[in-house]
Amino acid sequence: MYFKLTSKYINTQIRNYVRNLSLSSHLNRLITIKSNDEFLNKVMNSENPVIVNFHAEWCEPCHILTPKMMELVQHHDSIDLAVVDVEHHAELVHTFEVKAVPAVIAVKNGVVVDKFIGLVNSDMIENLINKLDKKNT
Amino acid sequence: MAPIGDGPDYDLVVIGGGSGGLAAAKEAASLGAKVAVLDYVTPTPKGTRWGLGGTCVNVGCIPKKLMHQAALLGDAIEDSQSYGWQFSNPENIKHDWGILRQAVQNHVKSVNWVTRVELRDKKVDYINGLGLFKDAHTVQTTTKQGERTITSKYFLIAVGGRPRYPNIPGATEYGITSDDVFSLEDSPGKTLVIGAGYIGLECAGFLRGLGYDATVMVRSVVLRGFDQQMAGLISAAMEERGVKFLRKCVPKSIEKAIDGKLLVKWTSENGQEFGDTFDTVLFAIGRRALTREMQVEKAGVQVAGDGEKIDAVNEQTNVPHIYAVGDVLYKKPELTPVAIHAGRLLARRLFGNSTVQMDYENVATTVFSPLEYGCVGISEEVALQRYGEDNVEIYHAYYKPTEFFIPQRSIAHCYIKVIAKRGGDQKVLGMHFIGPQAGEVIQGFAAAMKCNLTMNALMSTVGIHPTIAEEFTRINVTKRSGKDPNPASCCS
Repeated sequence: MYFKLTSKYINTQIRNYVRNLSLSSHLNRLITIKSNDEFLNKVMNSENPVIVNFHAEWCEPCHILTPKMMELVQHHDSIDLAVVDVEHHAELVHTFEVKAVPAVIAVKNGVVVDKFIGLVNSDMIENLINKLDKKNT
Repeated sequence: MAPIGDGPDYDLVVIGGGSGGLAAAKEAASLGAKVAVLDYVTPTPKGTRWGLGGTCVNVGCIPKKLMHQAALLGDAIEDSQSYGWQFSNPENIKHDWGILRQAVQNHVKSVNWVTRVELRDKKVDYINGLGLFKDAHTVQTTTKQGERTITSKYFLIAVGGRPRYPNIPGATEYGITSDDVFSLEDSPGKTLVIGAGYIGLECAGFLRGLGYDATVMVRSVVLRGFDQQMAGLISAAMEERGVKFLRKCVPKSIEKAIDGKLLVKWTSENGQEFGDTFDTVLFAIGRRALTREMQVEKAGVQVAGDGEKIDAVNEQTNVPHIYAVGDVLYKKPELTPVAIHAGRLLARRLFGNSTVQMDYENVATTVFSPLEYGCVGISEEVALQRYGEDNVEIYHAYYKPTEFFIPQRSIAHCYIKVIAKRGGDQKVLGMHFIGPQAGEVIQGFAAAMKCNLTMNALMSTVGIHPTIAEEFTRINVTKRSGKDPNPASCCS
């Protein structure tokens, strides 16, 4: 009994450590865009594929989608997630023809390779992410 | 920014980014014109401000309808129990103002954003500054970037209006208006609405529906300008739901009471003084056009007899290249669809070789009181005055919505009235409806009236059953006959 408890305890600790590791490394790859230059550098000129999430504070579906995106991107080491607040980046909104939020575009090597508008189910998001990853390998 | 001496900066400069202004701007741009829209919101005495879109989007139609819906849903929850829905604690169902306020404001902000995106897409320049006329060909404005002067071939005055405050002590310090109510941080609590036009009634109506103690103070009549028999039924329906009415009363002052609430003093018809405390005092005593703020006199534009609205002919002011649309127009319905339609038609005439003028007659409208009132055409008073009692036939009926039986909702004020010319096919002059979904019911009949609807045609229309709109196809009792307008039963 004691033996099992101990190994279970150790396993839990290891699991937590690993989770925290990936969470913190994931947090490093969550980019909150603050300027057009930053967008250029960290998205268009990025070595990694980037998923750009157009977000607004007043948009309820955005508050559901953004965390979900963060969760799903976690499992893909090479993909970054950039969040753009549509209220503060009118030019980016115009350039990418964002007419509604949430809007998600996938950028690889400076090219938009995929896009979806509105709150979609996990399958669609997974497909978009996998498409990005596949092209990587 | 514009090349010097190369002609005006724009083909059209629209002052006011509301329903009328934006519709005209977008239509003009789509016809190839170079357009700029100036929009600016002077904060209310309370400090409330809002984004692009005008009154309708921010502090009018949109938030009003959402809050009206919130109140109706409260009724629905109550009624649902008699239809079998079960709640663990039905007596404890209450409403959270903060959640409603946030949801409404989120929606308003999303509309502000879409509006801005649309303008950018249609290549309309949006300037967030208060536009003032410097002379008949120049508008000046101050934005965050500094001062600017703008010249244009045409100008469109679409500045709309703002709520009035009365000249009594404490009005601006302690009172709010419809400009503030939809974004109130704290729940309104016990509210006094001063004013019984449609804005006052709608506000008192949804506040009561959400569970607040609501009182309407009426100076003279309820819904002035509307059919007064219908107005009486609407206020009776509201009283039945618990809205209190202080009739023929005039407010005298508002001050802070010792407990922090607002003490309002008023005089009644016979001069007696009264007082009571409220958490919120909302003035809905009328709206004023914002022509003074934009210095129209500097452009030579004349205002109408009331000193502020513009008496335009086919939306053209006395200065040929300066036009006006929307609430700022004298003796035209102050409604969003009217402004939008007129704005679009004007843009087509200016830039699209169109000759179609706006038809301001027979515009349908709805008062979104708890029991709604929809109408199109003229009131009974206007009909009698215009044609004489002998030449007018008034059909009327009370009716019982099927859905009201089970929860035992009051049908006392469910009433319709059709005013027609007497003799011949009996052309319909006005249709009036009180009941749920009044706006939805009346809309189609507005199209029918545009086609010169007659009683003959109306009575030979087969109704959809069971609906409340079908009552218009069953109507047959005239006021003249003196017969009982109450229904016997359904399906007969």
